[in-house]
Amino acid sequence: MSEATTVSDAAPSQGGRSYPFLLVPISLFFLLLGLAVLRSPSLITSAGIGSAVIVATPLILATYALMAVVIAGRGTVDLSVGPLIGFVNVTLIQLHGAGVLESPLAVFAYAIAVGAAYQLLFALIVIYVRVQPIIVSLSGYLALSGLNLVILPRPGGVAPQWMADWGLGTSIFSPVLLILVLASVGWMLFTQTAFFTHLRLMGSDERAAYTSGVPIFVVRIGAHLISGCFAGLAAIAFTALISSGDPSQGTTYTLIAVTALVLGGASLAGGRGGVFGSFLGAINLYLITFVLATFNFGAVQSFVTNLAYGTILVVSLLLTLIIPFIQRHLRNFSPLLYFVALSVVALSVILHATFDYQSQGQVQPETGADQTVASSQMLTPIDREQIYVAPLEMAAPNQQESAMRAAAAPVILFILLMVVIAVFLRVAFSQSDRRSLAPVVAVVILALVVLGAYMMRYPGSPNAPPVSVEAE
Amino acid sequence: MLPPTPSLSLSANIIGLVVGIILTVIGVVFGFAQGTSVQFIILSAIATLAAFVWGWRYVLGQFVSQAPQTDEGPSEIRRVWLQFRPALIGLVAILLVFLVLSLAIENFFNIWNVISLLILLSIVVLTRTLGRQFQENRSAFIGVMVLSGLFSIGAMNIEGFASTMNIKSMLLFAAFLGIASVGQTLVALLGGLDLSIPFIIGAANVGLLYLISLGVPPWLAVILVLTIGVALGVINGLLSYRLQGQALIVTLGTGFAISGGVQILTSIGTAYGGNVFGTVPGWLSNLAAMNGVTFGMPFPPVIAIWGLIILILTIGMRYTVYGRYLYALGVNRTSAKRVMISELKYWVTMYAISGFFAALTGSLLLGWSGGGFIGVGDQYLFLTLAAVVVGGTSLLGGQGGYGFTVIGVLVLQVLSSFLIGIGLEFEWQQFIFGLLILPMVALYARSPHIRTQI
Repeated sequence: MSEATTVSDAAPSQGGRSYPFLLVPISLFFLLLGLAVLRSPSLITSAGIGSAVIVATPLILATYALMAVVIAGRGTVDLSVGPLIGFVNVTLIQLHGAGVLESPLAVFAYAIAVGAAYQLLFALIVIYVRVQPIIVSLSGYLALSGLNLVILPRPGGVAPQWMADWGLGTSIFSPVLLILVLASVGWMLFTQTAFFTHLRLMGSDERAAYTSGVPIFVVRIGAHLISGCFAGLAAIAFTALISSGDPSQGTTYTLIAVTALVLGGASLAGGRGGVFGSFLGAINLYLITFVLATFNFGAVQSFVTNLAYGTILVVSLLLTLIIPFIQRHLRNFSPLLYFVALSVVALSVILHATFDYQSQGQVQPETGADQTVASSQMLTPIDREQIYVAPLEMAAPNQQESAMRAAAAPVILFILLMVVIAVFLRVAFSQSDRRSLAPVVAVVILALVVLGAYMMRYPGSPNAPPVSVEAE
Repeated sequence: MLPPTPSLSLSANIIGLVVGIILTVIGVVFGFAQGTSVQFIILSAIATLAAFVWGWRYVLGQFVSQAPQTDEGPSEIRRVWLQFRPALIGLVAILLVFLVLSLAIENFFNIWNVISLLILLSIVVLTRTLGRQFQENRSAFIGVMVLSGLFSIGAMNIEGFASTMNIKSMLLFAAFLGIASVGQTLVALLGGLDLSIPFIIGAANVGLLYLISLGVPPWLAVILVLTIGVALGVINGLLSYRLQGQALIVTLGTGFAISGGVQILTSIGTAYGGNVFGTVPGWLSNLAAMNGVTFGMPFPPVIAIWGLIILILTIGMRYTVYGRYLYALGVNRTSAKRVMISELKYWVTMYAISGFFAALTGSLLLGWSGGGFIGVGDQYLFLTLAAVVVGGTSLLGGQGGYGFTVIGVLVLQVLSSFLIGIGLEFEWQQFIFGLLILPMVALYARSPHIRTQI
């Protein structure tokens, strides 16, 4: 752990939270993203991202809910988060069916209040009855999952009307995305407070926190309340996803959310965990399912998914073991820069997958005709030859595409150049003993931005960033 | 506070013995008067005598050797309140619940329910007054109290609760749960957790039937499955050794992988997608079915097997070097390492044992149900944990033992049988299970306040 502290000491400009633990989730994320895009380019379309947002958001929010209490330490892995989501979902549907909860405001207030109230009770039991949190959560898991079945014996019911079209996932910008963004931003703002520092201190060493005057009871209750709010939001996203009530589906979220949390690099022992890692962990799980769904395994599909979940979970846990060795050679790892560097690679993969497959279809019209027939069924397995040869194929661009390439080339070159220089400077900065290189990095990057802007203006197509090109 | 075995004077011992014999004689007379069978009368006479003498020695001893009360400090009532605050709150809560229930439900206020209430109240009182005298085995004492209380309430309120048939079925299911939680107990003694147990149970269940349907001789198939179970346990142990804080997640991951892998294996070449069909050999179903026969006696052998396991484990853990080393490791890794106890060896061995018993449970459950089903172990995910916790084995390691888990298993089984008996459905059972685990654990497994840990 001493190495971790030196890292955070060395990079105060990063807010002291440059976890090397993010190395695994970030690498896995881009690996899976590249694979997913190559397997099925339809992921990077408005509908693809939209449905990804709808499906992944409940899981992401459930992972946030777990994260908030896991940071509080004492091994508080809230196994009851899944049943809690199910409970809010089921009662919401039943109350709506009875005509009580109609307006969006009331629904949100209800979900968040129930989540927070449950977690408050949880915190009070942990504090005053002094039972191990895992036992409280186990108890809550059994009690709530039983209660859910009592309230709604079988899946059914109708979600509020205004929520019905949320779950379609046809466009990226849905209210669910707004919830997700607000929740993430809310947590990021929260990390800037002293309260969060207290929370992390308590999670790493509760006795030290107590002796240094941190009001640990208040902090613990606060962590649980935040977790409850996230759980309430997750329940709303879940309700929007399935547009009805389901008493048993929520319970599966427990195991998946714990998996996602660990994949995101959080420590179940407490004190370590962040919104970025949890987000990546949950997204990774979604991508695993997505990638596996593109391979048609037929009857054994769910088994393969289980196998992959388990294997990836164990392997990524084992990878955290080699982090100290990595740290010895890579003293100043910046997850942000790593993310940016890899995202450039991923962007190129996305561009390739989006455009070059299309041109391939134009070159071979007879297979293209086959593809249109087959495209009625969503995910057909691509035949073997195509997997291996496709990345090497030469595209045959038409006029319009050539023009687009000419416009985009300087931009892409500029981005690549900037990232390479930034990575180089960062490495140089970390290898040198002097800490005063930071202004130089800033100045060079600023100069590059100005240069890039000039270069972008020079070819005559000022507003053509690659993102807007591929979105069409 | 007090030594666990206080000594009584000779006269007190003699009085106890005499009273016990008188009680036994009364019991025997009543037994003959009611015309029950002779074996039953002899059995219950022995049980009465033993229980009474044991109770006399332990219970009375606590009061005899109690230190004289001092008159200083707060007043009498205040002191009682301070001493028994949780118990008194519990008493009031139970009384209130009873009152509400009597008002809410018709015909609730009858003589049997009142007696049940009295038994519940006496459990609470006894656990607080006597329980604190049993420092070593407090959870076991409370467990036995709850068990006997539950059983007597069930026997009074439910028709056929104490019948041979019902007791046999309770023991049968307790045996499955008990064998499944052997591994969980041992692993918990080292401070780990094994969540792969339910997945290995399901995998063994399906895998065994698959092997049998392939034409492998059943005995060989069972041995194969058990060996694979051990191998999986070893893998679990090796993988989680360096990640002990995350053992929960590592084993969950391997569990997912095992369950998925076995299903893929069994689905290859069939169109049923994970469903395996085959016939279970007669001896395997005899081993675990309700109407099984053990050497001519009318109970399934799995109960006897469980009894043997209990005997070996409780004696082995108490009196052999391996057992003592296990506790030593659980209490303090560093000091155990100083006396040359290999942590890796014990960690991996315990996970291997856990894998073995999970596979055994899966095989036995195949004999019980007669058909393979991957989800057969799902309920054991939390039940094994609950049994360990209710029994009183600390999840932090070093405290508890398999004997405690046996009590936990029995409590859970009797409770679930009782809930079925009063006509509650599965979901209500689960709800009540959840609500009851907390107070049961709170009775003995409270951690100290943070200010006392500095």
